Amino acid sequence: MTLSDRDLAIRVEHLSKRFRIPLDRSSTLKHRLTHWRSASRYRILEALLDVSFEVPTGEFIGIIGHNGSGKSTLLKILAKIYRPEVGRITIAGKVSPFLELGVGFNPELTARENIFLSGAILGLGRPELHRLFDEIIGFAELEQFVDHKLKNFSSGMEVRLAFSLAIQAHAEILMMDEVLAVGDASFQQKCFDIFNRYKREGRTVVLVTHELAAVTNYCDRALLLDHGRLVADGTAAAVTAQYRRAIGLAADGSRLAPEIDRWGSRDVVITAARMLDERGVEDTNPVTGGFARIEFGYEIQNDAVADFTCVVWLVRGDGLAVAESRFPVSQYAQVGSSQRGSAGTVRYDIPQLPLLDGEYSVNIELQGRRDGATFDHVDHGIRFRVIDRGGRHGVIDPGGVWSVAASELPVVGWPDRLGSTT
Amino acid sequence: MSTIADAQLDALAAGPGPQLNTFRHYRHLTVELAISQFKLRYTQSVLGYFWSLLKPAMIFAITFVIFVGLFKIKDGTQFYGIQLLLGIVVWTFFAECTASSMMAIAGSAGLIRKAYFPRSILVIAASMSSLFTFLINLTIVFVIAVLLHQIDVGFRIFLVIPLLLELYLLAIGISLFLSALFVQFHDIGHLWDVLMQLLFYGSGVMFSLSYVLQRAHLALAAGQTLLPGQKLAVGAKLLGGATVLPTSNLWAVLMVACNPIMQTIEDLRHALLTPQAPWTELVVTGHLAAVNQYARFDYPWLLPVPFLVVVAVLTIGALTFRARARTFAENL
Repeated sequence: MTLSDRDLAIRVEHLSKRFRIPLDRSSTLKHRLTHWRSASRYRILEALLDVSFEVPTGEFIGIIGHNGSGKSTLLKILAKIYRPEVGRITIAGKVSPFLELGVGFNPELTARENIFLSGAILGLGRPELHRLFDEIIGFAELEQFVDHKLKNFSSGMEVRLAFSLAIQAHAEILMMDEVLAVGDASFQQKCFDIFNRYKREGRTVVLVTHELAAVTNYCDRALLLDHGRLVADGTAAAVTAQYRRAIGLAADGSRLAPEIDRWGSRDVVITAARMLDERGVEDTNPVTGGFARIEFGYEIQNDAVADFTCVVWLVRGDGLAVAESRFPVSQYAQVGSSQRGSAGTVRYDIPQLPLLDGEYSVNIELQGRRDGATFDHVDHGIRFRVIDRGGRHGVIDPGGVWSVAASELPVVGWPDRLGSTT
Repeated sequence: MSTIADAQLDALAAGPGPQLNTFRHYRHLTVELAISQFKLRYTQSVLGYFWSLLKPAMIFAITFVIFVGLFKIKDGTQFYGIQLLLGIVVWTFFAECTASSMMAIAGSAGLIRKAYFPRSILVIAASMSSLFTFLINLTIVFVIAVLLHQIDVGFRIFLVIPLLLELYLLAIGISLFLSALFVQFHDIGHLWDVLMQLLFYGSGVMFSLSYVLQRAHLALAAGQTLLPGQKLAVGAKLLGGATVLPTSNLWAVLMVACNPIMQTIEDLRHALLTPQAPWTELVVTGHLAAVNQYARFDYPWLLPVPFLVVVAVLTIGALTFRARARTFAENL
């Protein structure tokens, strides 16, 4: 694929970059003088290996990959912050000189002073900043804090200020590194509004992010990097799906992670936990609306305990408990004998998983029936990643049903809530 | 496969379409950085900006009390006090400028890793706030001199402009060199502190050249014969190096002679305060030769040396900085 020069925004040919990481990092002259013979003791990190791609003008491209895959390095080379080691880069159009929001912000300066300083870094002139000043402050909703020092701002206020300033930068090619990682939901919504505007304006945007949903929703194309190599280049949906499969497999391997948080009296213990699909095969990548089974084993250590309650929580990546479910287990009723060491398996089947795209885990607890005392509690006993084939935003699929009627019904304005039941 | 040249990248980045003039953008950025650094330096202090004016005044008071009050050093030259003050003001600029610019790169790691612009902007911006303070101080010294003494203000006052430029270029050259090396070798900071002490005594801050010359002339007029050891001592003093230098070491004396800081201080004193012969003029008119028969210090080629040193320092500083600037983002 070769684009004509007219349509080309970015062309990267056989780009490689390696970092020399000194094994005994020391920035003193004495060390250099006394260890001059061992000057070559460093580890070479291949940050990028023979990466080639082209971006046509007006394309919205996402770069994804695990931490350390080289995606930020690639962006920094495109923005001229790092030097390419081998290879050629052609860039047509003015590149935004910054990668993150709030570059150059200083906590000791006021909002006004920061606008002029950071604005200068973004390439905005002083008369221009004077002209745009009210607009920037207004968009950030900080009219009352113009002459307050930035260190007295909440992080949300700071992000709003940074964002309203950044959208004023007039570059043809925008580079954004994890802009979505900061800010709350309403900020992210603002980001997406701006992304839509950029798309309409036909600007070229390179977005590095971990938010796969953002990539599928806004990017025309995505690149997947793995250990410095470009492993996939294609439509956003196809590349994000490939990435999900890749990290899903990796998550399986690290299921018994050492960071597991666990407590309890150990009168009854949880012996193992896993997630299965409808065929009974272990699978930590359930699909929204699909079948998922949580299965765990228990073992009674204390003869005096005859019955207990199982509690299962589904917990989102950020720690929010999305759902809780309880189930009483009576040793006599279900298994028959209550001898020390007797064990069993408990299953919790979810016929139609209502969760949308995201990282989740399962917390499991065994409690005493009478007093609720914790016998055994495991945080993140199973980690899983839900894949929503529709690429929808949100946490759950409420299973609502859409319908549309003929115009016999009177239409009274716009209803705030769409959707009705059958 | 080739490594792309910087100029090539810049040319490509310039590309078509509406855009800001790059030079204007960078000039604007330099000014904004300088302004904010200036504000930051005096934030959270009661006296704020007045410190930059108060500091040289206090150092001057201490030096004056010790040298004039305690040691009764009587400078035969006119207005020793104000001459000393001028020397201290120039020295303060040089010391503060190099010290703050040295940290300019290492102290802006966040900016360097996140945004692209020519890195030298940071060093220049850091030097500008010292320069600004210096100009104000210099004006104050001049006003005091005019009020206190009948100074005849002539056209020689315009000599100040090239002299300040020379001093500033020297400071920038050193700052570029130091700031580039400081990224990887923090020892540079300590080393520079020590070197500054040495330079202070070798820059004629406390002794004017005219004073030393007069001493030599007086000795000559009295028919006093100098002992061999004293001859070189005169040579050392003549070149502004006070008596702390090992007088037996001619090379050390020569090194002092090559010091552009001494030359600029001496010439600034001439331009602003006294119509007495400055360094440059002395060498040309052979005042040095008058002392020569005693000091055996006949080096007419010394005249351009301080200027050549400035050019050399600036070149080395700029080249070192350019070679290392490419990897600042990676090494910080």
